[in-house]
Amino acid sequence: MLLEAILSLATLANIDDDVAQDDVTRAIPAYVLDERRLRTSFLDLYGRPPLADEREVWRGRGLDELLDEALASPEFFGHWLEEELYYLLLIDNFRPRSERVLRLPKDLAEENIGVRDALTMVALSASFDRRNPGPDTFVTVVLEQFLGQNVQARPKDLEVGKKVYDGIESKFLGKKGRSQADVVRIALGDRRALEQLLLRAHDRFLRTQPEKRALKDWVRTLDRDPYAFAKIVRGWMLSPAYTERLAKKRSLPNHGFVRALYVDLTNRQPTEDEVDRIRGAMDGLADAGPLRSVFARLVVDSGQANVPKKGDIADPTAWVADLFGRLLGRVATDEELKDFVTAFHDPACRPETLLLALLTHPDYATW
Amino acid sequence: MIDPMNRRLDRRGFLSGATALSMVPFLPTTGGLLRLDRKTKHVILVAFAGGVRTRETLGTPANVPNLVRMAGEGVAYPRARTANLGHFGASLSIFTGISEARGIRENSRGEDPTLFEYARKDLGLKASDVWIATSGGAQQANYASSIHPDYGARFAANTLDGDGIFNQEFKRVLDAFGRPKEMESREREVLDRLRRSLGGKKSAEDAARAENDAKVERYILDELGSGTSELRGTGSSDAKALRVARNLLSIFRPKLLGVVLRDADVAHGNFNAYQEVIRRNDAMLGELWAAVQSDPELADSTAIFVLPEFGRDADLNSRRGLDHGDGSDDLNYVSIVAWGPDFGKGVKNLMEVRTIDVAATIGNLMGFQGRYMRGKKLPKLFA
Repeated sequence: MLLEAILSLATLANIDDDVAQDDVTRAIPAYVLDERRLRTSFLDLYGRPPLADEREVWRGRGLDELLDEALASPEFFGHWLEEELYYLLLIDNFRPRSERVLRLPKDLAEENIGVRDALTMVALSASFDRRNPGPDTFVTVVLEQFLGQNVQARPKDLEVGKKVYDGIESKFLGKKGRSQADVVRIALGDRRALEQLLLRAHDRFLRTQPEKRALKDWVRTLDRDPYAFAKIVRGWMLSPAYTERLAKKRSLPNHGFVRALYVDLTNRQPTEDEVDRIRGAMDGLADAGPLRSVFARLVVDSGQANVPKKGDIADPTAWVADLFGRLLGRVATDEELKDFVTAFHDPACRPETLLLALLTHPDYATW
Repeated sequence: MIDPMNRRLDRRGFLSGATALSMVPFLPTTGGLLRLDRKTKHVILVAFAGGVRTRETLGTPANVPNLVRMAGEGVAYPRARTANLGHFGASLSIFTGISEARGIRENSRGEDPTLFEYARKDLGLKASDVWIATSGGAQQANYASSIHPDYGARFAANTLDGDGIFNQEFKRVLDAFGRPKEMESREREVLDRLRRSLGGKKSAEDAARAENDAKVERYILDELGSGTSELRGTGSSDAKALRVARNLLSIFRPKLLGVVLRDADVAHGNFNAYQEVIRRNDAMLGELWAAVQSDPELADSTAIFVLPEFGRDADLNSRRGLDHGDGSDDLNYVSIVAWGPDFGKGVKNLMEVRTIDVAATIGNLMGFQGRYMRGKKLPKLFA
């Protein structure tokens, strides 16, 4: 009851008010974790929705508390790294498997390494080399992916980079080098590497391009303090811009969809292998909708999903309302609630039918 | 001089008089004109990509007996100019008819419409009429459509990545869950009703999309039970793309079917494996071609185009492989082979053409106008 009251008050207060008063003074947290913010924040921070117990723990509390915990966790950095590996298309057979790279999330969380150095390590891995074989491809990818450079517009950088790659001492991006590793170190040491890294992250968290001045400040901060990435993200998520971002829904990437489906249906996180296999299949379709639908049906019908028996659902209205909050991160409209509860009482309808309607709807595949 | 058989009529021209209607064999569609003066009703475009030199294809007939036969029965252009824009950009160029400078690892839709979008929009084709079978995973799904405001995802091709979907590991994951239960019709009705209830009104486009999705769902489940997942070894991703293409052809009978390969890029580190990929792809291409020729409906109504996106360096690298970046003719010129009922037979055309000309040629063949394309119709192709 207290939780509901807080959530309701927070909604009335447009969730930005710091404090509300009742008989006893209780602080309503800034950016309270209602269903929408809770689901979205988890997807942004960890790449998955909350597990059942996490939902119970965090609902109604403040986003700042969640950030205190999340931004110091290996899981947050693991998700960041996954997104970066995907960006570099270091997936499937090209996924880095070396112990040094596998340890990165923990090392990042413990501030043994910063995000720029972590990316340098990835680019120095055998997987990156295999993925981008030969001097032309390697140097082009380094320039394009890490520095956002249009290689065709400045072909000289590519030519010099290829020489450095081949062991011929040359001045690449203003610095001397003479090895493949030097190509990586010089490029990742370039200020533009930080800019691009922050632009990618900013787009993921806020879905906008930052103002130039702000970007410059963050680059400077991260250049001075290699461990400042978590602090920068914290600032983004505790800003009004994040509230605006909540209104800008975007399609869940396939790996996000797979993780969400496992968590929502089985209340467990999928293994990396499970995600890779299913994501790989979904990536093979320009419109993954049909395969997502097939997969949702498989899991729902597998007996492994946590679906209550129809007879065990004492209050169908509450159950349906909870499903909307949990799966779509929103409140059902009166009409939707009525339609779903009516359908529930239809003898042909199973609880699985209601679940499938939500899971195969485009709303579920956005966040 | 205008070739009266090849001239294109726009809508205004078409409507200008009954005389024109009686003389010119075109059928108007939503935006383009289906060409009734052509026997071709289906087009298959194989991007034999991954960087493939002519030296190892038409220059070594033993590697590609099927391609050589196809050239012998069709038209070959061994001097097709291309640009080393990275695999992604150069392959995309084949589909857009515009040289596309794209990042090698860029994973987003292009800005220029693809021939799939032109075909769907201008000829009013359904989603199930236009397909691409790919070999290269996430990146290649971007060939399905662009972000162009006049075209875009609503005119996209259905895309299936053979290796991504039809592989043993994915099958094992699915097997761990079993197979979805067949839904009884009453429950299906409830489900459809609930879907309609969510998020307000649904358009006719939504209904068409739902119908297409249901077909694709069924196809995927059937294909998972077929032998495609069993293909393994060097070049198996490409082999699956070509096998999927063959199966799509027999089930959906697409009007336009793209196939994108990429395994030849193994050449960076292994020249022999590169040749092995070429030989395997030729064998699978032969299987696809045989399927066309043995099908009474497709045999005399299908055209096939085969071309790489670019070649490879002239000389081996230090790993005894072949990179792509030396600016040589081996890299910048590739061969195009075209076979079909409307084309010349056994013609070797030594004129310099461009790989981006293929998209415009297909537009001419099918009757849509790629208004943003920069390529031209291939010269002396038609019989």
